[in-house]
Amino acid sequence: MIGLYAKAAVAAVLPGRARSLPDTVLERSVTPEVGHLADYARVCGFPLGDALPLTYPHVLAFPLQVELMAGRSFPLPLPGLVHVANRIRVHRAIAPDERLEVRVRAERFAAHPRGAQVDLVAEVSVDGVRVWDGRSTYLARGAQAPTGLAGELPDLPEVDGPAAAVWQVPADTGRRYAAVSGDVNPIHLNPVTARAFGFPRAIAHGMWSAARALAALQGRVPEAATYEVGFRKPLLLPSTAELVTEQAKEGWDLAVRGRKGAVHLSGTVRRV
Amino acid sequence: MPSTPRRAAVIGGNRIPFARANGRYARASNLDMLTTTLDGLVARHGLAGERLGEVVAGAVLKHSRDFNLTREAVLGSRLAPSTPAYDVQQACGTGLEAAILVANKIALGQIESGVAGGVDTASDAPIAVNEDLRRVLVAINGARTVQQRVKLLAKLRPGQIVPDIPRNSEPRTGLSMGEHAAITAKEWGVSREAQDELAAASHRNLAAAYERGFLDDLVTPYLGLTRDDNLRPDSSVEKLAKLKPVFGTQFGDDATMTAGNSTPLTDGAALALLGSDEWAAAHKLPVLAHFVDAETAAVDYVHGRDGLLTAPVYAVPRLLERNGLTLQDFDFYEIHEAFASTVLATLKAWEDVEFAKDRLGLDAPLGPIDRSRLNVTGSSLAAGHPFAATGGRIVATLAKLLHEKGTGEGGRKARGLISICAAGGQGVVAILEAA
Repeated sequence: MIGLYAKAAVAAVLPGRARSLPDTVLERSVTPEVGHLADYARVCGFPLGDALPLTYPHVLAFPLQVELMAGRSFPLPLPGLVHVANRIRVHRAIAPDERLEVRVRAERFAAHPRGAQVDLVAEVSVDGVRVWDGRSTYLARGAQAPTGLAGELPDLPEVDGPAAAVWQVPADTGRRYAAVSGDVNPIHLNPVTARAFGFPRAIAHGMWSAARALAALQGRVPEAATYEVGFRKPLLLPSTAELVTEQAKEGWDLAVRGRKGAVHLSGTVRRV
Repeated sequence: MPSTPRRAAVIGGNRIPFARANGRYARASNLDMLTTTLDGLVARHGLAGERLGEVVAGAVLKHSRDFNLTREAVLGSRLAPSTPAYDVQQACGTGLEAAILVANKIALGQIESGVAGGVDTASDAPIAVNEDLRRVLVAINGARTVQQRVKLLAKLRPGQIVPDIPRNSEPRTGLSMGEHAAITAKEWGVSREAQDELAAASHRNLAAAYERGFLDDLVTPYLGLTRDDNLRPDSSVEKLAKLKPVFGTQFGDDATMTAGNSTPLTDGAALALLGSDEWAAAHKLPVLAHFVDAETAAVDYVHGRDGLLTAPVYAVPRLLERNGLTLQDFDFYEIHEAFASTVLATLKAWEDVEFAKDRLGLDAPLGPIDRSRLNVTGSSLAAGHPFAATGGRIVATLAKLLHEKGTGEGGRKARGLISICAAGGQGVVAILEAA
């Protein structure tokens, strides 16, 4: 994975980048490995249960996302892409020993108020039947989309009740999540590499915050559900953060915020 | 027995397949397994979002962070978070003792429903710091000044990094459970052949139970395991006879206990669902059996004459007397197979004239049982024995057996006896009756 980042870094400075999205569809077939699943569960706060954590297939699709985005045919430079939103739909509980077909493609290359955005879409099937969909929206600051098409971002409710939980997020959270997700983006790993990208300290992975927040709702998330999150202000490491949850019709609204009120993540869980 | 307003019903059960230690469940914690098992029970009985009277469970090998293990499992499950829970611990008797507690509250009308059982992992076991190191760390934590801390830090020694790993031995005797059992086996002259026969029967019976689908509504697959992985359907007396003794080797040629006729260290969890008849009816759930009565006994295995695992020998006669029953009045006997020799020594003690008179204070021994009624769907030798999980496994199994059988001799309701020996010289026994 580090090799892919290096390759992408080189590609980013070379001329001749594509102007539109490639039609590439990348595929892999994988049965989760219990040891890896256990590592992921521990880092994110999930139990090692008889169904995969709803966010787990994202880390199975992530290597394909990076491979696709690191290629010369991808119009945006991978280094500096910011994960701004993520939507997951799980159709049924997925057992840890099921063989999963993972497909990843890119779509919706569109304008964003601060640049251009693109969706990396992942589909997971078992025996040809779809069990999980993921849509990760990335922003390239200052980039330009080919058409005037305006990108869509999820419309998420504000939640500002009392904290359901206070998290002490340790400094090594980025390194620990990198180890289980393969997302070794230097902005998450240590303060020095993060500063090179303009952050005062390392920042938590958005998908770690999303997973940690969902894990806190253990036992309350329907087996078939959508989980939609928007990533706001980066969560600097180490940090103390608050989780806010509010029961909604057919699900939950949630937020992760700093002790002074800055919102790091807003999200919704809904029954399907 | 004293009259109670009603009897608690056993409604169903759920467990995950038991796995040999450091194998399939090596990465699963007690909380993972207990929560998963509880969610399986909830799913099977349609209890999502329900507030139950209470959930009672425990673990023998427990991390200090799991001080509220069962409550944490409830909070992570699909039960209503308003369901209270507490932990109990009585070594291998934990699961059955939990069921007794729940059944008693139901009988008294204090609760209408409850879940009882337990979980254990020998793989993800707590490891404590060396006792010398712990003392220094505790002192440093309590020190008020930097100078005090520095002084204490100077007390640290390299040897203190060696951790304390939990051992399966009795604190007061230093002997492992197997070594204790070997002494009892020798005392009662339990033969190697008889032990191997019992072990082979356990594997044969459990395999047959799986084959006929008996466990379909008692077991939920977990982490890719669908059956207990200690089960050897092709086990035989001939194969078992080839194993070398591992306990009681001080007896030389008289050593009889092998890895084949002793239970292995195992990981797993098991729960039983109990309730009042009214609660079961209101939830359109079947009543498999009723909890009749229970008794717990303890023996002085340290300085006295009794063996570590022989307390059920004393508990059963007291339970029978209180209920006006004889040992022969049962259709099923579920005697926990800590070791094959333990089951056989227990049966021998109940048949022994002198023991009855001298030690049990009875005019006549309890007498023999019909061995074809013993552990008919296998027991711990085949399934494995995650300490606190065994009681929940047996309660649910026996309740289902009684439900299948319905009536016994003379048209009376089918009746079953549970007997579980436990570390610390304790024994927990109970009677269940078909509904």
